[in-house]
Amino acid sequence: MQASGEDILVERARRGDSAAFEELVLAYQSLAFRTAFVIAGDTADAEEAAQDAFVKAHRALGRFRTGEPFRPWLLAIVANEARNRRRTRARRAALALRAAEPGATSDDPEEAALATERRERLLTAVERLRDDDRDVLACRYFLELSEAETAAALGIAHGTVKSRTHRALARLQEELG
Amino acid sequence: MTDLELELRDLAAHLDVPPTPALSGAVLARLTRRRRSRRRLSFAVAIGIAALAVAFAVPGSRAALLRFFHLRGASVSVIDTLPPLTAHRPLGQPIARDQASFRLLLPSGRRPEQVYARDGGYWLRYPGLLVFEFESSPGPQILKKVASTTTDVEYVQVHGEPGIWIGARHGLYLPGGAPVAAGHTLIWQHGPLTLRLEAAVGRDRALAIARSVR
Repeated sequence: MQASGEDILVERARRGDSAAFEELVLAYQSLAFRTAFVIAGDTADAEEAAQDAFVKAHRALGRFRTGEPFRPWLLAIVANEARNRRRTRARRAALALRAAEPGATSDDPEEAALATERRERLLTAVERLRDDDRDVLACRYFLELSEAETAAALGIAHGTVKSRTHRALARLQEELG
Repeated sequence: MTDLELELRDLAAHLDVPPTPALSGAVLARLTRRRRSRRRLSFAVAIGIAALAVAFAVPGSRAALLRFFHLRGASVSVIDTLPPLTAHRPLGQPIARDQASFRLLLPSGRRPEQVYARDGGYWLRYPGLLVFEFESSPGPQILKKVASTTTDVEYVQVHGEPGIWIGARHGLYLPGGAPVAAGHTLIWQHGPLTLRLEAAVGRDRALAIARSVR
């Protein structure tokens, strides 16, 4: 979404224009849901977290600083909601690989099977990391958020994103052996 | 970017991420309810206490409450285990349509096969479709539903008014009765009325029926 168009939508939503807020929801619902899902690992939790985040964002629009980007501000609310839900679970729900599409063929079935095995091993290793290490990798590589957006989503300093990513990659390499 | 970073990027493309559900309808319905509830705050407190009393009187409410949806005159509690449900409940003797105390709303304007006065409202029977209408403004909670965790429950909108879609088997609680087994159901507000329709159809078809009432 164009930043200037977004500023206008946010301003209209702030004044109580529900159509403007709906446009913001439509523009960001996919990012919000994917972010919540990658953190919470559960579909129902992710949907609830994303929905609650939009309601809370609407409530907090009065505190939103005009001219600031909306995306990282929303991401911070979404990620917080998703982490809260994850905290209430005794065991973190783990992400899984997508099943091969029916009818999907590979030129080299053996190579495809090996690639799947490598990905499974990598995902298992990611899921074994501590929450803060896992989250920073998920934001940077699964969601492809920038360092600044990752910092906003996780509520940490920009410099901490760099150092934590470095540390998480080293730990992941250790897990992989 | 290192090999490990490239592998993580590749992994992202193979993660099983479910499709994004449509969130805007549910979010806007909740915002609409918040605005209305603020206007009626003092009244809502009194009703809230009454609703809690009803909730605690419902058999099976000791089961863990997982989610809660609310409309004027209706609420849906999502719990982990459904209590035993009655399969069938007779509606009694039909009445003439013009005996109703308010003008009944009819899907696509079609006349029902039968109309029954019961449960503080009117039941309209059509082939494969059952509609219940009641005056809920300001109204106490006279509908109570419980669904299991796997149930598809979501907020929807019908002509800009809030509604709840329940896309699976669940229990329907009416004042003074045992919980009755119910199927796919849409409940929505329509002016001073709250309407409920039950039919073996999907969400979009149910919404189309709801939008057609007049």
